[in-house]
Amino acid sequence: MKWARVTIAWLESRSGLGAFIKPLMSHRVPASAKWWYVFGSATLMFFVIQVVTGVCLATVYAPSAAEAWASLRYIDSEVPAGWLIRAIHGWSSNAMVVMMAIHGLQVFLHASYKYPRELNWITGVFLLLVVLGLAFTGQVMRWDQDAYWGLGIGASIVDRVPLIGSQMRDLVLGGPIIGGETLNRFFALHVFILPGMAIGLLGLHLALIMRHGISEMPRAGERVDPATYTPAYEARMEREGVPFHPDASQRDMVFCGACLIALIVLAAVYGPFGPGAQPDPTLIDTNPRPDYPFMWIFGAVSLLPPSSETVVMLAAPALLVVWLLLVPLLGRAGERAPSRRPGMMLAAALAVIGIASLTWEGMTSPWSPVMDAWSSLPTPGAMVRGRKALEVQGAIVFQYAQCRNCHALDGEGGRRGPELDSIATRMTPEQLTRQVQQGGGNMPAYGKNLSSAQMSALVSFLATLKPSDEAPADIPGALLPLPSR
Amino acid sequence: MNGVPSRVVLFIGAVLAAVTACDRLPGMPSEVAPPSIGSEAWTRATFNTYCRGCHASGADGASIPLMDRSYWTFASDERVIAATANGQGVMMPAFSQSAGGPFTDDEVMALARGMRGVFGGSSGAGISATIVPGDRANGEGLFANACAPCHRDGAPGGSLVDPAFLALVSDQGLWASTLAGRAVLGMPAWNHAMPSRPSGLTQEEAADIIAFVASHRAAKKDAPP
Ligand code: HEC
Ligand code: HEC
Ligand code: HEC
Repeated sequence: MKWARVTIAWLESRSGLGAFIKPLMSHRVPASAKWWYVFGSATLMFFVIQVVTGVCLATVYAPSAAEAWASLRYIDSEVPAGWLIRAIHGWSSNAMVVMMAIHGLQVFLHASYKYPRELNWITGVFLLLVVLGLAFTGQVMRWDQDAYWGLGIGASIVDRVPLIGSQMRDLVLGGPIIGGETLNRFFALHVFILPGMAIGLLGLHLALIMRHGISEMPRAGERVDPATYTPAYEARMEREGVPFHPDASQRDMVFCGACLIALIVLAAVYGPFGPGAQPDPTLIDTNPRPDYPFMWIFGAVSLLPPSSETVVMLAAPALLVVWLLLVPLLGRAGERAPSRRPGMMLAAALAVIGIASLTWEGMTSPWSPVMDAWSSLPTPGAMVRGRKALEVQGAIVFQYAQCRNCHALDGEGGRRGPELDSIATRMTPEQLTRQVQQGGGNMPAYGKNLSSAQMSALVSFLATLKPSDEAPADIPGALLPLPSR
Repeated sequence: MNGVPSRVVLFIGAVLAAVTACDRLPGMPSEVAPPSIGSEAWTRATFNTYCRGCHASGADGASIPLMDRSYWTFASDERVIAATANGQGVMMPAFSQSAGGPFTDDEVMALARGMRGVFGGSSGAGISATIVPGDRANGEGLFANACAPCHRDGAPGGSLVDPAFLALVSDQGLWASTLAGRAVLGMPAWNHAMPSRPSGLTQEEAADIIAFVASHRAAKKDAPP
């Protein structure tokens, strides 16, 4: 074994790697840092898994609109264990988001973000944003109908940004519509830009942890005072601290090991995510379901009245991020113990309950479209009889554009949106046009997916949907003018 | 190294090895077994899932009534196969896999033959399934005679020369709906009596009328993007 020792010694003398790692392993951490502190390491482990499996997938995945979908099918069926790698990548991405949320929550509960660790928290918030970005762009990589329409809804949110909305949408999509360039753009984001940012932020985050040490468990009555904290902390570590390895690292390893096993079991039992149906711009997917980390946003949208949507969708996330960034700056000193911070505890509890119940909402109640209603449930005879040629064509548009999957006619069809049997008593043609073009709630914006002829046929058909004895909604004169294209 | 981690590492290694060694795990995506095609049950189930929404019978459904016998008096298998596989360039979706749809070529063929068996009978009335060129000028008079009573502006059938309507149908579609009619809705089939056409239409008359109707298309076709 002499040659091995010589080689290692040579490497060490030239690179100084050991001298770099040694203090990392032996730095002193508070003895009170018990199982509460394992979540950060687990997040890191999931990130490493993402990088490794992601690189594997990138060797086979074809980031072009024409081939992406088929290349995923190829990975699933032809590449040995390819499906398992896809499954691990997918499950690990969700697990990473969850673990990160738990880690953040723990830091928040224990107010570890207080002096001198404000920047640790702030880099953590940016890491969270980058990881959510990775999760979203990753969903787009599947390039199936979910991805396509998830993207469509995302783009319509961006589009609502005042003043620069349409420029931002063009930047994100690589043009006004979702096309081949969109996938290339998201691929670059998903494999180069965001991971690069994540690695940089992670390095910074870890360096900051080394610099300031791991916080102790909070004790009621013990206040953080920026004037005296650091020397006191260092002295306590000298006295009571334990080396990171093996005292703390062993708990990390046990927890990470358990997470890894759970991950592999999940991946092996439930398999990879998608790809779902192939994207077809002419067939509007009526069940665009985002991946879990974004489900709560959709849940919120389904509960909101459409008028408040723009404000809430745009302003709420921005405010949340600003608040998260301000948390350590506004509360850098003082008590850390949860029992002495009831307001913050209430905020955390509300956030957890809110996100959990909105996720549940997003997963269940409003999502009951009938996926084959458009091609299997005929327009009820009573709604075809006595209609004019253009109106009859509008009934075909209603099927073709899959409105039926979400909207029942005569009791049959999806229940995601309201039944439209008497819609003409509630909405004027102008309002109908706007509803279809701009969507709202959980209704996708059809925008340019319908031609002006399709739109006017559709609206003329909808305008006939009223009980024969009821007056139509205040219809000003004739049909609306064709929207210009 | 402490004892616990190495045991954990061993355990994880064993799980990984077990997972990769085994080639039938529950999560592995499976190929769907192909359904037995061609039978009447298959035809009905397929039609009900994929076609009935637009092509139902009676007053239900909004497009060409494939469940009505009248359609099958002139339709040919080739026509039905072509339309089912590739669509018509309008709102009829293309159903063959080569066009991104769910059906193999064999399934498209089986469906076309099966529909004739289930809904129709043999054609052979001597009228073309595919649109034939007609004489626009002659069609104008015929239209005024045979169709206008119901398809004048404001008449119950609604205008057929409205550019928005014409943007949504193909000439072939006009041909098929004119010939098949919608008896329940009051639209006579080609071989039924119409005002001033007691014996229905001949192929040439139908072609002339459609040439006239189609001549009202807006110059630039307003196709979906
Ligand atoms: C007795 C009245 C009547 C006559 C005569 C009549 N139609 Fe119709 N037609 C209707 C009705 C009712 C409908 C069903 C409602 C609709 O689609 O406009 C219809 C539907 C149609 C459609 C389908 C429209 C669509 O939305 O797909 C076409 C095409 C058509 N007729 C062409 C003709 C032509 C061509 C003639 C003359 C040869 C003709 N019709 C004669 C009553 C009539
Ligand atoms: C993904 C499901 C979905 C699809 C597909 C869909 N809608 Fe909707 N639609 C909804 C939902 C959900 C609402 C309620 C939105 C809200 O919260 O106001 C709605 C609302 C409407 C309304 C207003 C109803 C009212 O009473 O206020 C109209 C009209 C409408 N949709 C028409 C259409 C048409 C036409 C199409 C097809 C071009 C269509 N929808 C496709 C989900 C859908
Ligand atoms: C979204 C509604 C829709 C669905 C679903 C649909 N079609 Fe159609 N189909 C149409 C329309 C609209 C036309 C007429 C197009 C035109 O104007 O040319 C048409 C035309 C056709 C024609 C051509 C008739 C002719 O002789 O030219 C055939 C055949 C046909 N469809 C078969 C099918 C079959 C088989 C299915 C199911 C596998 C199906 N369609 C499902 C809308 C639909």
